[in-house]
Amino acid sequence: MIEAVKSLGLVKVYHSKEKVEALKGVNINVDKGELFTLLGPNGAGKTTFLRIISTQLMSTEGDAEVLGYSVVNAPEEVRKHIAVVPQDVATYNNFTPWEYAYYFARLRGMLASEAKEAAEKALKSVDLWELKNRMCQTLSGGEKRRAIIASALSSDADVLMLDEPTSGLDAVARRGVWSALRDMVKEGKTILLTTHMMEEAEMVSDRLAIIDKGNVIATGRLDQIKALTQEKYRVVVEGVFERLSDYGEVAKLGDRNIVYVKTQNEVLELLKITLKMNLRAEASPVTLEDVFVKLVGGINNHENH
Amino acid sequence: MKITKVLKDTLIIAWIKSYPDFRRNPLMLLVIAMISAIPLFFFTMSGGGMIVHGLIGAMVSSVAFIGVMAGIQDISWDRYVKIREMIVAMPVHPASYALGIALAPLLLSVPSLILFGALAASWGVLTLASIVWTVLALLVAWAAMSAIGFMISTYLFKASMMVLNNLSNLLGIGLIFIPPVYYPETMLDSLSWISVLIPTSNVAGLIRAYMGLLPLSAETIIIRWLILMVTTVVFVVLTSMKAKWRET
Repeated sequence: MIEAVKSLGLVKVYHSKEKVEALKGVNINVDKGELFTLLGPNGAGKTTFLRIISTQLMSTEGDAEVLGYSVVNAPEEVRKHIAVVPQDVATYNNFTPWEYAYYFARLRGMLASEAKEAAEKALKSVDLWELKNRMCQTLSGGEKRRAIIASALSSDADVLMLDEPTSGLDAVARRGVWSALRDMVKEGKTILLTTHMMEEAEMVSDRLAIIDKGNVIATGRLDQIKALTQEKYRVVVEGVFERLSDYGEVAKLGDRNIVYVKTQNEVLELLKITLKMNLRAEASPVTLEDVFVKLVGGINNHENH
Repeated sequence: MKITKVLKDTLIIAWIKSYPDFRRNPLMLLVIAMISAIPLFFFTMSGGGMIVHGLIGAMVSSVAFIGVMAGIQDISWDRYVKIREMIVAMPVHPASYALGIALAPLLLSVPSLILFGALAASWGVLTLASIVWTVLALLVAWAAMSAIGFMISTYLFKASMMVLNNLSNLLGIGLIFIPPVYYPETMLDSLSWISVLIPTSNVAGLIRAYMGLLPLSAETIIIRWLILMVTTVVFVVLTSMKAKWRET
């Protein structure tokens, strides 16, 4: 598989009031034509990583390659092949989706006719063609976000880098963006996405990396990431059950407890006991969130915050 | 990067930054003209003796006031709309971006300039001989004021938008309405030399000289052009020393 993005020991240290190590030697490979998600809590280093490989920010140490071009030594070459949607981006209210898509295509060096074609294709792919001439200030949050994604898409760049593209959107709008992203992958684009939303990572990623405190702590397909913990099942138990920790690791969520168990037999045993005790219980396979929480902070770490 | 691509991108960015705003809010052209023309109203009410000088001030103000504001307000394109951030990651030269952002308000002030120029021509002060030098001086005033705007936004890039907006308004007033831009520098008597140091009043003085309203020797005119160019270059250099296209 040809690599679209390859980072080689990326280190970023910010020197503000105090020294902050945002990235501590990050190595990530993104294959061509896949949607790769960088999943991490706030402040993990996701945006810093994305800004370095999109040539907006210099690394302190290390390098990264985009389609074989170094972001340190050949940023101009990298920029010809990428398009970026920054985090928390607001639309320019006087723009229309058409202006976003068309003018950004022109800045890529396209002729007017080519840019028109690219803008039309981009707006249709994010389902905004009917709204192309509406001012952004009259669009919904999801439509605004899709207008900005269209500006990246109209560039016809090989690699799209999106920093938390659905943050702040409702479920319906989020699904619209996800659908557009998967369509782009189907067309052969490589997408590097950052998110802190587990559902998003689960729904759209071909592969993902979990990043925390500037370190990559896991990389792989969803099933590979989930296989990193021994516990394969979770049982949510409501009510008082004093010896719950005898059955597995327990995460306390107020009056509810999540028990992580390894086998189906253990699940059945626990369910039987809870039924006998007249407690409500529900079993399911572990989610990405369960694995993520275990990997980044320990199951009961939220109680310390 | 090819120079043709740099120039083309400059024009595209200037267009992006001006045309959509103008199309959705054409009244802004009137606002730009009115802000520059306000002092003319008072000149007219007080007998009209200074109206020609006021007209020159209005021409300078048309390019200078929004010139200084453009650089400062560009911060909102960076912080909130993040268009600058998106363009940094594109095959666009930083010079195209800076020039485009500065050129946008100039495009919007063209109708005001035409209006004030037509009035000056109808009163016989703007002639074919003086028009080229007037346009040239106005272009340098635009460059100098845009550079001042960019310099402030570069050095105060962490300041709040409220502070920056207030600063741009204060600068506009301080550099356009207080120095001899709307009135002849001869009114300052022994302090008239101050007008040479401020780009806006220096340009206004030069335009007055070309229109025959201010007697300046050829040597003085050359010295004033040199000072104008040097001050503009100083602002550009100070900005480029601090500005970073790619953050470190």
